[in-house]
Amino acid sequence: MAGLVHQFLETSAGVYPDKTALLDGELEATYSEIDSLANRLARLLTLHGLQKGDRVLMIMENSLKSVVGYYGVLKAGGVCVEVPERTTGAEASYYIQNSGAKICILSSSSAKRLSDIDVPCVIGPDVDLINGSITRLTWSDVKAMPDRAPENRVTECDLAAIVYTSGSTGRPKGVMLTHKNICTNTASIVSYLNLTEADRVMAVLPFYYVYGKTLLNTHFMVGGSVVVNNRFAFPNSVVKDMSDKEVTGFAGVPSTFAILLNRSVFPKTRIPSLRYITQAGGAMAPALTKRLLDCIGSTSLYIMYGATEASARLTYLPPERLLRDKLGSVGIPIPQVEITIRDESGRVLGPHEVGNICATGDNIMMGYWKDTEETRKVLKPWGLVTGDLGHKDEEGFIFLTGRKKEMLKIGGERVSPKEIEDAIVESGMVHEVAVIGRPDEYLSEVPEAFLVPLDEKSFDLDMLRAFIGQRLASHKHPRHFNIVRSLPKKPSGKIDKEALKR
Amino acid sequence: MSDVLKNVVDFIKENFIMGRSDACIDPDESLIESGIMDSTGVLELVEFLEATYEIQIQDEELIPENLETVNNIVNFLKTKGIS
Repeated sequence: MAGLVHQFLETSAGVYPDKTALLDGELEATYSEIDSLANRLARLLTLHGLQKGDRVLMIMENSLKSVVGYYGVLKAGGVCVEVPERTTGAEASYYIQNSGAKICILSSSSAKRLSDIDVPCVIGPDVDLINGSITRLTWSDVKAMPDRAPENRVTECDLAAIVYTSGSTGRPKGVMLTHKNICTNTASIVSYLNLTEADRVMAVLPFYYVYGKTLLNTHFMVGGSVVVNNRFAFPNSVVKDMSDKEVTGFAGVPSTFAILLNRSVFPKTRIPSLRYITQAGGAMAPALTKRLLDCIGSTSLYIMYGATEASARLTYLPPERLLRDKLGSVGIPIPQVEITIRDESGRVLGPHEVGNICATGDNIMMGYWKDTEETRKVLKPWGLVTGDLGHKDEEGFIFLTGRKKEMLKIGGERVSPKEIEDAIVESGMVHEVAVIGRPDEYLSEVPEAFLVPLDEKSFDLDMLRAFIGQRLASHKHPRHFNIVRSLPKKPSGKIDKEALKR
Repeated sequence: MSDVLKNVVDFIKENFIMGRSDACIDPDESLIESGIMDSTGVLELVEFLEATYEIQIQDEELIPENLETVNNIVNFLKTKGIS
């Protein structure tokens, strides 16, 4: 089964018209309200010249309008290009130029910041802030349209989204995802998480990020509800919202859980409705996973792995296996996905042999937008080469070793920064850590650690060194330690190692 | 401008609006909504306040009422005996 992405909304609006689909602070919107607004937006976009396959840039935080924007663009046959709400003017120019978007949907704060945006048509709440001779449309114009989606001939093989992903070099690349890519992946996630219309997820991850977007699409597919909270800067307010709104699910990246466990009331708060938690967005240190498990009682924890190029999800670890014997693994392939570990020539490797993690399935992207060269590097006859290194055990459970590009070469030996980071986290003395390589005259590279102490006053670097000394061979010991107050993050919450290298 | 207010504003300018040190911060403007601080930034600010004023800030105190704006921060510090 595949279908079209906006049919998640349309089907649920047919089955559960009056059910609350989205909660944002005091605001609640039903499926029929969202579907009606998306129909009207699609009409307006078509009226202003949007044709099948045209890209629409969206610069918005998670909100009712961003949800309407997403499904409305798709109903009009357009392609959603969602980027971070904090996008700068220079970045917006790049996205517009690269995607060829002629229409841009802005939030009120992005409209304030991007008053010089150079695009023929803008839709937003404060479009009078935008300079230049462009078409300015507001949400009042949307509401004035008829509640009937325009006709179009979109098929499941058509493009639904371009998702920009930052590489370690060069400018962001646009991952092209079709309706089929997204629908297949959404159905697989629904199946292994056993999501139903009774589920209600707390979304602190942004929807422009594929992991965040899966929260929206999976819950809209089953007629569940999504709670939006953009204030994770105050994690306690999110914890309270989770409790008040009786959420059944929560999703985060490793730093989300480091903050929740170390600096919030989450460990002291019982949320009886919370059925499951998911973690993806980079490997989480096993020590942090253990602490999370200790804290959540009977709530199921799903450790997962994926890539933007895979529409989001590739693997999940069944919670019972996490508890029983697979701590440290990212699990098995999700339904409709196959994973192989291969060497550089594409040869399949055996159990415990470390190689490139490769994936096939209907969720794998079409390629990078306007970049056949980069596409050729990652889409091979044997599938997507994720850029991650790992191995399988005898039962087929996958273990990540690290990012290929991040691997350190210390005196000729390849060392994973993750191994060093995991050992440091295991000490229980740090809130977060990142290890990068520094050029070295003799060893070619040496590890350098950036760490945020759990307690600045009692932190003892000599104790940490002694701890590491007991766990890692000497060439893996960081030569430099930088004690910092925080680590630079990408908008998705992942640690920005490129920024540390600068 | 009080010393506490100046210290807080200087810290925010120095750490969160790099390259815009001449920028004006409205003391009643949300530091989150305006994009000046994110979740990591709040923790960084808390560490700074704890170290500078030798105070303990509890997890329960990490709430918008105490830390959302410059004025909230200054008023919160007053409750800790810092002014």
